[in-house]
Amino acid sequence: MKNITLKVNGKICELEVRDSELLIETLRERLGFLGTKYSCLEGDCGVCTVIVDGKNVLSCLMLSADCDGAEVLTIEGLGKDGEPHQLQKSFVEKGAVQCGFCTPGMILAAKALLDKNPDPTDKEIEKAIDGNLCRCTGYMKIVEAIKDASRKIKPNDQISISKR
Amino acid sequence: MNKNKTLSPVGKSVPRIDAREKVSGEAKYVFDMTFPGMLVGKMLRSPHAHAKILKIDTSKALKLKGVKAVITAEDTLKIKFGSNEFFFPYTVDQYPLEFEKVRYIGDEIAAVAAVDEETAKEALSLIEVEYEILSAVFNTVDAMKPGAPQIHSSMNNIGVMLPVSFGNPDKALKESDYVREDIFYLQSAAHCALEPHVSLGQYEVSTNKITLWTSTQAPFKVREAMAKVLKMATADIRVIKLNVGGGFGGKLEMLPMDFAACLLSKKSGGLPVKITCSREEEFSFTRRKHPMVYKLKSGVKKDGTIMAITGEVIADGGAYCSYGPTVIAAAIMRIFMVYKIENIRLMGFRVYTNNSISGAIRGFGGVQSGFAIESHMDMLARGIGMDSMEFRLKNATDPNTVTVNKLIISSNGLKDCIKKVGEACGWKEKNGKDKTDGDIVCGIGMGIAADVMGSKMYKSHESAGSIIKVEEDGSVYLFTGAADTGQGSDTALAQIAAQELGVAYERIRVKAADTETTPFDTGSFASRVTFISGNATKNAATDAKKQILEIVALELKCDSNDFDIHDECVVKKADNSKIMDFDKAIQLCYSFDYGRLIIGRGNYNPKTTPIDFRTGQGNVSGSYSFEAQVAEVEVNKKTGEVRVTKMYDVHDIGYPVNPASVHGQIEGSIVMGIGYTLYEDLKFDQGRVVNPSFSKYRLPRSIGIPKIESIFIETNDPQGPFGAKGMGESSLLPTAAAIANAVYDAVGVQIKDLPITPEKVLKALKEKEDRG
Repeated sequence: MKNITLKVNGKICELEVRDSELLIETLRERLGFLGTKYSCLEGDCGVCTVIVDGKNVLSCLMLSADCDGAEVLTIEGLGKDGEPHQLQKSFVEKGAVQCGFCTPGMILAAKALLDKNPDPTDKEIEKAIDGNLCRCTGYMKIVEAIKDASRKIKPNDQISISKR
Repeated sequence: MNKNKTLSPVGKSVPRIDAREKVSGEAKYVFDMTFPGMLVGKMLRSPHAHAKILKIDTSKALKLKGVKAVITAEDTLKIKFGSNEFFFPYTVDQYPLEFEKVRYIGDEIAAVAAVDEETAKEALSLIEVEYEILSAVFNTVDAMKPGAPQIHSSMNNIGVMLPVSFGNPDKALKESDYVREDIFYLQSAAHCALEPHVSLGQYEVSTNKITLWTSTQAPFKVREAMAKVLKMATADIRVIKLNVGGGFGGKLEMLPMDFAACLLSKKSGGLPVKITCSREEEFSFTRRKHPMVYKLKSGVKKDGTIMAITGEVIADGGAYCSYGPTVIAAAIMRIFMVYKIENIRLMGFRVYTNNSISGAIRGFGGVQSGFAIESHMDMLARGIGMDSMEFRLKNATDPNTVTVNKLIISSNGLKDCIKKVGEACGWKEKNGKDKTDGDIVCGIGMGIAADVMGSKMYKSHESAGSIIKVEEDGSVYLFTGAADTGQGSDTALAQIAAQELGVAYERIRVKAADTETTPFDTGSFASRVTFISGNATKNAATDAKKQILEIVALELKCDSNDFDIHDECVVKKADNSKIMDFDKAIQLCYSFDYGRLIIGRGNYNPKTTPIDFRTGQGNVSGSYSFEAQVAEVEVNKKTGEVRVTKMYDVHDIGYPVNPASVHGQIEGSIVMGIGYTLYEDLKFDQGRVVNPSFSKYRLPRSIGIPKIESIFIETNDPQGPFGAKGMGESSLLPTAAAIANAVYDAVGVQIKDLPITPEKVLKALKEKEDRG
């Protein structure tokens, strides 16, 4: 057992975790962040993606004991004051959501991309979400939604027009 | 987001009704459900492919601390269940827990409920089972040999045998100018819904009732099967669906885990029991696609007329029958919707083996037959030197026709789909032309398909019902039994309800798929929901509207037939002049003078006729949808690698209730089809799935997905709600053949064995070269 402190969605959580406890277990079962789904527990599907210290990680492959002091962002923490994040809005508007099971992880993978690269090309988007499986959409509308969000998050994107 | 008012929403790409809660992480799936005191359930599965069960001893497991219940067949009534019981009672062949024999690796024989996962796993290991191993059989050829291990009591292990037979195909073959025979091989595949199967059962001791929350496409069907095996009144079993993380046909049946969760709850004094499949269990022990061998021998005239189609289909059904008859029927009968055929004889066989259970998967046998028939058609056209698009145009079915097997086809845009897809892709400029760039050769290929919307294979009727309740504050509740599993049916039904009632889409709240509180619906399969449940919903809205207008007419001392409701206003039909706001009309209904509660009800049963399963005659669906697809590929002659570079899909969907949703279904289907065509392959070794994980079973990922151009043909079906037809499956049907035909166009080899791997392409190229 180990005592750890996590900052989840901006709130400090002090917990005693088992040595073998996975971050996904801590988030879902101890802290009630059920928005984070999982589909394989083997690191193959990307469904359990969350953001830890600014990077998208698979919460099924991380031990909570190793996350002491980390800042974790789950889908529940993405919006602000009841207002959805632009990625969430774009996913809704562009029809990028079908069954929704991959959606939280997919959006967080996209968030990690846009934080690093605010104006990605389609190819860069495809590469960034290649670890996140979706069986419903065929990915087209997801890529479109991420592209849409990237444009709307940064309306003054003249600087990077040449890149496109 | 509810500030918006979308008036007349049918035909508009409104956001999904459930999208907001899904992007926020608030959407609840059964996967997320938990109750105080909830137990973890697990299934004990056979490690053997075929064995007699001699003894099961659960005493040690029961003594383990933390174990609350253990069940075997001795705790059950030993009643079999099956999915096609109404028409094929002989295919009812599975016990919820087996006790005489196990027939595949994974067959359920016991279940445990314990306080946590570790204890449940340990309890499974403490159950002692004595088996007598029997010889097993893993392919259809061996299974049908005399003296093969007998899996059930059926002769030669043939569990299902269905024919279609019309005209005189032998004579027509003789009269043909060109006859050819081909054999196609189709592999198994997995559904890979991201939410696994999960069942949460709770028994209520005081009332002897059961509630089951399950990740299902067909709650009413699960309820029916549960009632049968538990010998309970159906009304005493409540099945509830929440959000479902994908189904694709894999969640259409009661599984033993549904049953076990409920019985374990009963045995543990009413504590809720949750059973969740691991990903490995999903791949190995739920359902899978039927592998098939599809043999065809057909003849054509020089002018392209198809004279005769004959052949046989042999499917590996695995250990139990599941939806076998429907899959076989779909595999041999879909051709009638697509081609004008007078002379045909196809036999379909579904053979038991000791592999895992083959069942329903998006397309219901149509993906397999689509590949075989559409590849074969290209080869027939080639044999007479005819362009394959012209060949299809010549033989495609027409609107307002009755086919030889008595399908009643009303709206039919198939020929328009073919022409349009030809224009969109530039068929005439590209097909048959040499397009080589070093080792890379480009090719183009076509496939066409049609689909039902509903199939009377599960019950005597195919009805759905809807209830619409307008509250005092003007909000509208739609109660439907239809099961949205992510395809967007709740949204489409809300749009239909809003359109017909004359209110904004945002007013509608959908309460769906709870067997106790919503009307009956057979479920999400056979691309039926928009068409059948949509019509039921439209009828319920018509009824609610009539009730409102009656009150308005009473108040104004007019005839209610003179009024309608449009865009949130009661209007005069004659000149569309505004009489009063919808809200005002509702206030009137709920006023002192009238006190009228608005509750509309609707029902819809499509116009079909019974199918004669000795010939394949009968009108299976209320209407039919059609499409044509073109694939553009690049084949690397050095490596054999096939890359799909562009897909075109032109679809007669009647009318798109939600265009974005329809495109989404088409894109998802095509990508699923590309996966199956090029690499998806559920592999077995001696009955054991050897690739039961996402790392070993390759699924399409975001890199390498081609651009998909999807175009609608609007035929405004006379029976569809606002002209709409179903389309959830058909875009998957022609994809494999379109790609295979494009590979031929590129490099001159026709791959008849899926998946089209680089090895197969290289081998075929080498054989072609050797032949000179």
